[in-house]
Amino acid sequence: MIEHGPLLERLLAGEFVCAVSDDNAFRHLTNDETRDAIDDYLRPLNRRLASNDEGSVYFLAWRQLNEAAREQLSRQLSDTVNSLLPLLEWLQLVQEALGRDTLAAPGDVLKPAEFSAKCEDNQSLRERLERLATDSFFGSQSDQLDAQVKQLFKRLKEHGYLLQPHTERQVFVVTGKIDYLIEVVRFIRDEENLPIDAEREEGAQEALL
Amino acid sequence: MSELESRLLKTGAERLALLGKHAERLMQGYTRDDVPLDGLNDSALRKLLAARVLWRPDEQSGVKLSPKVRELIAEMLADETRRHVNADVAETLELVRSLVHSYREARSRGEHWRQEQQLLRLRQEVDDLNGRFADAIDSLWQRLNSDFGFVSQLSDKIRENDRAQKQIVRLLDGLALIDFDELIALVGSDGSLRKLLISQLQQRLSHHYTSLREVQRRLIELMARFRKQQARSRLISGMVAFMREHPGFVPSNYAKRSDVPALFNHAAPLNAAAAPALDRALESRVLAELLHELPTPRHAAQTVESAVPAFTPEDNLAAARQQALKQDVERFYLAVLDQPPAEPISALAYLYDSHLDWPDEIWLFQVISEYQGLPRSEQQAFRLHQDESPASPFNDLRLIHDVALAVAV
Repeated sequence: MIEHGPLLERLLAGEFVCAVSDDNAFRHLTNDETRDAIDDYLRPLNRRLASNDEGSVYFLAWRQLNEAAREQLSRQLSDTVNSLLPLLEWLQLVQEALGRDTLAAPGDVLKPAEFSAKCEDNQSLRERLERLATDSFFGSQSDQLDAQVKQLFKRLKEHGYLLQPHTERQVFVVTGKIDYLIEVVRFIRDEENLPIDAEREEGAQEALL
Repeated sequence: MSELESRLLKTGAERLALLGKHAERLMQGYTRDDVPLDGLNDSALRKLLAARVLWRPDEQSGVKLSPKVRELIAEMLADETRRHVNADVAETLELVRSLVHSYREARSRGEHWRQEQQLLRLRQEVDDLNGRFADAIDSLWQRLNSDFGFVSQLSDKIRENDRAQKQIVRLLDGLALIDFDELIALVGSDGSLRKLLISQLQQRLSHHYTSLREVQRRLIELMARFRKQQARSRLISGMVAFMREHPGFVPSNYAKRSDVPALFNHAAPLNAAAAPALDRALESRVLAELLHELPTPRHAAQTVESAVPAFTPEDNLAAARQQALKQDVERFYLAVLDQPPAEPISALAYLYDSHLDWPDEIWLFQVISEYQGLPRSEQQAFRLHQDESPASPFNDLRLIHDVALAVAV
């Protein structure tokens, strides 16, 4: 258990651990025995190891749901719902600004400078960025483009969606928490029966083999 | 060398040279609809048409590159958008059969030279067949490894991937046409034919088969990834559109369900805090060392003598005036107390009567603030009446003209 000390500390602090944020720890977590050992350790703390459906990101869940835990989860859910629109709009904005054909995925590298440059040249992107940055989730007070972009990346880093490998370099990597976010969106869509374009059969192709 | 062969060589070399001579013009024809003809004289055009480098679909239309040349260029450039995949196995098999027959015919008649010729052509056909499979597989790998980078849109990538998968199916169908039992019967006991058509061909084709299956597997994997990405993009844009249309949308509270969805069960953060402890002698030394290593706080030394409050003459004067005003107002309050109860004294009237020289406004201000500064119990001993009126009919700002103070009954 000793060797997993730092990992446990991060998990207990509420972090999401994925292959991008900690490759080594993530590899350990894919091992059944390690997971069982960690679960045993967490038992007295009323916590257990959990992952998203894809198994691309691990976090801690309550083992027993008492009233206080439910209260905390309700608050957390409402925070998540409130931050949903700005986060999804950011994903779209990044995709469009950088001219990519897919949404940002774990492991993708994002450079704020590149992002600012693209938004600077395009009035419509600029306006969308402005609106997004001043949203209460991102909470930028500045009307300068660079400061707004900086604030956006800072908040996303605080929330664990981005990782900055070197503090002195303005280069960010998308983490597996994005997968979690997208699963949350999918869950809400299915659970609330929202009239959103149904996905095509994802498994159909694999079934051919 | 026969006369026929030398004529073939000469014409072939001449016509190949045409490609080099008109290379730029032909490349323009490759990238556009037609081959530009300006500056090209009639005889050169005739030569190009005769060599089937160019062709003219009908009299009215422009001159175009022939399909074979277009294919050659695509092949040379590894231009994956236009590279064709066509193994055409059935026709090759047909040709192989007839070549084998004429080879055996020549052998039974003892015509060694013809026999050699047929064997050479057979070898070329088999090489061509191999080459076509190898080319097709190479083209497929190229597309796969570039993630279909030659098209930018995800939907185009999905279409290109689909096209590549269909090509693989055709290639595999082509491979299935080759029946080695039939070939074994066809070659009989001839050693060189057996080596060429059975052992070598079988080895190569099984290699192609493995490669094709591998490419197919990878293409399907890639397709699944493309589809997943497409589904994600759709999901996100759908959700954004929905939430913009329904700003008040709130999902039900999943945390209150008897069975909380796994996705939403994220436990509260717990801080593994620790503080310095001195209960172990060994560690106290370490702590002491740490303490010594702490950077000394950088406070500049302060000279105590200089830290004396400084007064300016103006401040003194203002303080004295303030004190005088306060005393005058206190005298006014004492005067009110001397009055019979419930008989108010106007503050301004007192000011004029006492010949004090305070401006009206300052006087009223101090009277009011003195009243408000009194403890609650003493405040109740007085009644303060404010003589006030609105600033204007449209402005509810109230102006105080005077205050009257009386002892409460």
